[in-house]
Amino acid sequence: MADALAIQDLVSGYGARDVLRKISLVVPANGFVTVVGPNGHGKTTLLRTLSGLVKARSGRVVAAGEDVTGMAPSSVARHFAHVPQGDMLFMQMSVEENLVMGAWLEADRALVAERLEEIYRLLPKLAERRRQTASSLSGGERRMTGIGRGLMTGAKTLLIDEPSLGLAPIVIEQVYAVLAQLKALGRSILLVEENPARVEDLADEIHLLDNGALVWSGPPKELLARDELLKTYLGG
Amino acid sequence: MTRADRTQLLIGVAALAALIAVPFLTDSRYIVGQVLLGLFYAAIASQWNLLFGFAGVFSLAQMALFGFGGYVAAMLCFYLGMSIWAAMPLAAFAAAGFGLLLGLACLRLTGAYVALLTLAVAQAMYLLIVTDTECFMMIGTQCRQFTGGAVGFARFADLGTRELFGRDWLVANYALVVALFALVMAASWLIIRSPLGLAFQALRDNPGCAMARGVNRFQMQLYVFGFSAFLTGLAGAVYAAHFNAIGPGVLSLSTLLFVIAMVVVGGIGRLWGPLLGAVVLMGADEVLREFGEFRALGLGLIIAVSMVAMPNGLIGVLERLGALRARPKGEREAANG
Amino acid sequence: MDLIGSVVVAGLTTGALYALATLGLSLVWGALGMLNMAHGAMLTLGGYSAFVIVTRLGLPMPLGVLASCVTGAAAGAVIYLSVARPLLARAPETFETTIMIATFGVAVALENAILLVFGGQPFGQPVQIAGTLGAGGFTLPNQNLLIMVTAVLLMLAIAAFLKQTKGGRAIRAVAQNREAAELLGVPSGRVYLLALALSGGLAGICGLLVSSITQLSPTLGADPMLKAFIMCVVAGLGSIPGGIVASFGLALIESFVQYQFGARWGFPVLLGIVILVLIVRPSGLFGRNQVRRL
Repeated sequence: MADALAIQDLVSGYGARDVLRKISLVVPANGFVTVVGPNGHGKTTLLRTLSGLVKARSGRVVAAGEDVTGMAPSSVARHFAHVPQGDMLFMQMSVEENLVMGAWLEADRALVAERLEEIYRLLPKLAERRRQTASSLSGGERRMTGIGRGLMTGAKTLLIDEPSLGLAPIVIEQVYAVLAQLKALGRSILLVEENPARVEDLADEIHLLDNGALVWSGPPKELLARDELLKTYLGG
Repeated sequence: MTRADRTQLLIGVAALAALIAVPFLTDSRYIVGQVLLGLFYAAIASQWNLLFGFAGVFSLAQMALFGFGGYVAAMLCFYLGMSIWAAMPLAAFAAAGFGLLLGLACLRLTGAYVALLTLAVAQAMYLLIVTDTECFMMIGTQCRQFTGGAVGFARFADLGTRELFGRDWLVANYALVVALFALVMAASWLIIRSPLGLAFQALRDNPGCAMARGVNRFQMQLYVFGFSAFLTGLAGAVYAAHFNAIGPGVLSLSTLLFVIAMVVVGGIGRLWGPLLGAVVLMGADEVLREFGEFRALGLGLIIAVSMVAMPNGLIGVLERLGALRARPKGEREAANG
Repeated sequence: MDLIGSVVVAGLTTGALYALATLGLSLVWGALGMLNMAHGAMLTLGGYSAFVIVTRLGLPMPLGVLASCVTGAAAGAVIYLSVARPLLARAPETFETTIMIATFGVAVALENAILLVFGGQPFGQPVQIAGTLGAGGFTLPNQNLLIMVTAVLLMLAIAAFLKQTKGGRAIRAVAQNREAAELLGVPSGRVYLLALALSGGLAGICGLLVSSITQLSPTLGADPMLKAFIMCVVAGLGSIPGGIVASFGLALIESFVQYQFGARWGFPVLLGIVILVLIVRPSGLFGRNQVRRL
């Protein structure tokens, strides 16, 4: 079985500046890979480049065996469910409309209804809120809606951008519990995060991102055991 | 003085020399008259360029300000019997006041809202003048509206050039308009180069950063509205004085379009763009005149096509050509340094 | 009493027309952030299309209505492909102003092209119905009733389209968050094309209706467009329900002002209202206070 995602020497950036400098990593099928790094070192840019929102300058992105480098975001969409930073919900739409938008590429209405039921089973809170407009939701509910919308795409690989951002600790726990469930359901996940401790039990592999390059890779336990790495790259 | 400054100055001196040469090269009153008209347009266009191209404020009230200056000058002379020479600066100050009010109304608006508000003000002014039928005073058996109505004002000003220069009065008026144009361009240049101008450009290019660095957007926007309104109003007053007439025609949308077209074709945000645009469009107008009815159609197409095809206008195209030729030299310099 | 009645009828009729023009403008502003200065020219085009089909070619009226709609939609599509798309691709950050200038040019070109083909003399719009409804001194011309009913039906149809169909949801999604929509597979370019074509089709019908109570002339669309701008600004650009409320409200005010103080004061009073609204509430009465990310 092909890897869910394979990145080779990926370079991208804005204006005159390269933000990502030759990044290579692999997310195996049903793997959970996390890229950890401080703010402003290219985590979000990495996911945006994978989705085609930022043009790759060189390198290759292969999704489930298909080369998707340089494709428009709307064409990459069937490979990746990208849950963007800050949710980017459709604020004037109801929760259900947001979720249904997630399945935009799916023509089969019965399948869309089925997925919707699945999401409501996985995230029962959203079923309660289905008629509410997104702008009236709490931060945690918004995050869940964002994840649910990503799942509605049906894409097997999830790209998740800092799901803990701006949430209370107890809500962060709930979000990660959902991610653990998704892994158990067979999805492949590439997650970017600031704090490696959050994925200690979840991630198969962690990559440390510093100034646009991967500087260390290994299992989370090993990273957390190495104080000097944490101090140097993540400020302790 | 930087190299760019020297280039701008050189162009200015060359343009001025060419303008001074015109009456010596031709006896045709028609040609002198057309160049004179073109200078008015170039002056208005340069002020719109200052507002939009440098400060990023998309106002559609440019002709309203021009007309305001012209009307104030005309009314001061007509109703109060003031000398036109005194009325002109007063009209410019009045236009600046009007511009400041407009700027105040637009303070909290951005982009499309500024365009719509200024368009609304300009249209309201135009319609109120054109539909004015109430008699303000009787002149002979003729009814005269306070705003001049659809006809406007005529024969209110005497610049004194006919008396002084006799048959050469047109050349004397021409000299006056060249002086106006030189003043307008010099003032624009000074504003653009001043700290104020740099603040304008900073606001246009990156409002967030500029404001974080302490540039006061509201104050800047008021300044630029006031400055450009003063110069535009002055041009309007001189226009009224030269033609000894002013009417609502200058306020019409098609005149505004002509001015915008000049800036777009010449180059938005380029000091000499409006002048180049005025030359090109006055020329195109002469050619299109042969095809009479195609004139407006052609103008519309010129605007749309140049907006899409040359974002920085003809000046931008020239700059690119220049850059292509200059590149080998630039690379040499880089290699040495 | 019947005088007040006819003022109300006039107000509601123009309100319906303004609402249609506003709806088309708002749709495009919402989706692309584009103020289409050629919207009025698309109205004119629609009015003349029906005239050509019915008067010049002698074809039945329904075909005339269809022609208005199709020509308008085609004009919208052409404007997107030839003007909006290249400008958007080149410099999205200056699009808001460049597109206004470019469509301004398109508007003048279109208007004068129509002038060249049909001449400046006004024509009557053949697509209309005669007769009046009346009861006790109160009369309602059938054409006015037709305009109100058509406008309401069209607005309901658009609302249903935006709410219930895939294409409609895509327009709303792109309007609310373009990047998020793209991440879900929505091709934003095609959605823009759809929005402009839809707005053009609406403009075509609106132009047909406007010309049925006035006359066909090359400047037919200019006045409704200017009014629609005003409605949009008062309501807040992109707010469709707000635009419709503003259209009917301001049209009634305009009609009363014209009746009380004379026709010449109608427009200036509207402009006065706009200026006041903008100074007090810079993003309109119903507009969301947009937090701009600088």
